[in-house]
Amino acid sequence: MMFLVLAVSASAQNANILLKDVDENLMPESYEANRRLINEEPDGSKKEFTFYTVKKGRDKIAMLYLLPASEKGRATLRLGENMWLYVPSAKKPIRITSLQSVVGGVFNNADIMQLEYSTEYEATYAEGTDKEYLLELKAKNKTVAYDKLKMWIAKDRKILRKVEAYSASGMLIKTLEFKGDKNFGGGISRPSVIETYSPLYKGYRSLMVYQSIKKRQFPDEVFTLNYMGRLGDLR
Amino acid sequence: MRHPRWFVFVVISALRSVLFGQEEGASEVPAEETKKLEWSGNLDVKYTLFHMDESSAAYVLQFPMSRPSSPFLSQYRFEPYLNAEYRVRDLGFSLSTHATYFSDAEASVDIFEAYGSFNPSFGTTLQAGKRVYNWGKGYAFNPVGFVNPVKDPENPELAQAGLLSANVEYVKSFSSGALQNMSLLLVVIPSSGSTDNRFGELKHTDLALKTSFLLWDTDIDFMGFYSIQKPRRVGMDIARNMSENVEVHGELTYSANVTRFTIANNSLVATTTNGVSYLLGLRYLHESNTTLIAEYFHNEFGLSASEFDAYTRFLGSGTQGNDPILMQHVASVHQTYFRGSNLMKDFVYLKLTKPEPFDWLYFTPSVFIIYSVADRSFLLSAAMIYKPVTNVEFILWPTLVSGGENTEYGSKAFRQRVEVWMRVFF
Repeated sequence: MMFLVLAVSASAQNANILLKDVDENLMPESYEANRRLINEEPDGSKKEFTFYTVKKGRDKIAMLYLLPASEKGRATLRLGENMWLYVPSAKKPIRITSLQSVVGGVFNNADIMQLEYSTEYEATYAEGTDKEYLLELKAKNKTVAYDKLKMWIAKDRKILRKVEAYSASGMLIKTLEFKGDKNFGGGISRPSVIETYSPLYKGYRSLMVYQSIKKRQFPDEVFTLNYMGRLGDLR
Repeated sequence: MRHPRWFVFVVISALRSVLFGQEEGASEVPAEETKKLEWSGNLDVKYTLFHMDESSAAYVLQFPMSRPSSPFLSQYRFEPYLNAEYRVRDLGFSLSTHATYFSDAEASVDIFEAYGSFNPSFGTTLQAGKRVYNWGKGYAFNPVGFVNPVKDPENPELAQAGLLSANVEYVKSFSSGALQNMSLLLVVIPSSGSTDNRFGELKHTDLALKTSFLLWDTDIDFMGFYSIQKPRRVGMDIARNMSENVEVHGELTYSANVTRFTIANNSLVATTTNGVSYLLGLRYLHESNTTLIAEYFHNEFGLSASEFDAYTRFLGSGTQGNDPILMQHVASVHQTYFRGSNLMKDFVYLKLTKPEPFDWLYFTPSVFIIYSVADRSFLLSAAMIYKPVTNVEFILWPTLVSGGENTEYGSKAFRQRVEVWMRVFF
């Protein structure tokens, strides 16, 4: 009995170590990135946004809208589970909820401003395949956007391939597929495209395309409400 | 001019960070030196139809000389907004302009913001010029907005004119512990020209101070406003996410030496008083992606139902008969002492927003109500925003008011209004 308890505990520990490796392979701890977000509608039309993103440590991320012009200057800041939206016309940051979508489409704020998975979830192993590990993730607290995740990880490079997000009731909310491996330089090699679709939004598809990712250190003060109107100064 | 000791302490603390520059331990990589000049802006073209209330005193005062022949009026105008940002290393310049054009004879240009900024260290900013401040956590109302432009709760996100001022701000983050970051903002507001519109008295310089904290995942601000001429105020606000779809916020302020204007025996009466105003608010996201914003605002210095009734009777007395001198007097009192769209004490604000309902792409309808608690009058409005093409918006915005003739919203000059906007961004 004791042996069984120890084995289960060791397995969970290994799963969380693997989850940390996945996080490290996905993004440097502190970086700046330029991304395009493309929302495809059921009628085939597209809406496109361009963001400049900066991240520091495990729980600080900020994002500035560069395009289109109607959204330019809007900014979002996430510190752990705290999230704010800065509206340039009102010159004011507004505290928002993590589930709220500020761009429409299938992605919500938590997807676009994703922190490390290991910060938000506890992992356990599930039955994978010859080529992929399968982890089951449970949210550490109720403020995390998705209660449960299933995560498929390529065994050779420990690179993320697919994530399914579930509600507390077990309903599939969305699927994220990680594609188009690309060498961004500076030792960063990872999928450059995240494709998202959801049974709740039939016919919709959202693509996040990483154009550049670069390791960079920032002062902590960048990740404050006071700096949201000045994020463009970092570019 | 004498200021209390705590103001002196705060000024010295702020200046210390400026003088000593970058904080110890901050070894981050600076941005590359690039000069950046960026232009942006939008053109709003607005067509409005009004169904006026010809029996209201506000309507009569709006058209004192020649009244329109019909209660149905229209208005056509355009408003260009042009913004520029220039940045090189630690120096910056911001300019925001706005113009309103009705006709060649009726047009105006405003400078909303024009200020220079300098960062002697990463966490410290000095700014001087004309700048917008937006204090408070409330969406529609901000009782702690001591230096804010007057907010229009019908359109809280509209750009507005700033305040001629100078400020120093210091921000500090902490990598561990309950306190994640804090900031200090001191605003100096020189006296506006009271003599010849160019000179102001030194002793009429005002000071405003705000300290902000992110403590235990909660936004907390404390603020104060010190003036010899104007009411002195202290206040605080707070905001916190209770769960992944619920946010709560509140504001509380104490004001001293506020001059309240009321009407008694058909005459203007001024009394000086102190009191507490507050706001309680909630933002809730339903699983249908519908957002509810709910706020309750108590303005201690607003008019009670009986005071508002006396005020509207005063307006009515000035518009009965055809005495142009009396009408001018009443209009002057109305415009000088009772400006603003919300004059009473207690309001409830509710707004529902649902992006892309029924799979209507690019379409975001919202409906909101501003309810005056004491007299049960209200303003009901529905803004329907359609964005068929990138950088173009169309807005259809009907509004109606309801209430008795001596109530906050029932006494408005119009009964219904429909606005159609086209907005083009660049």
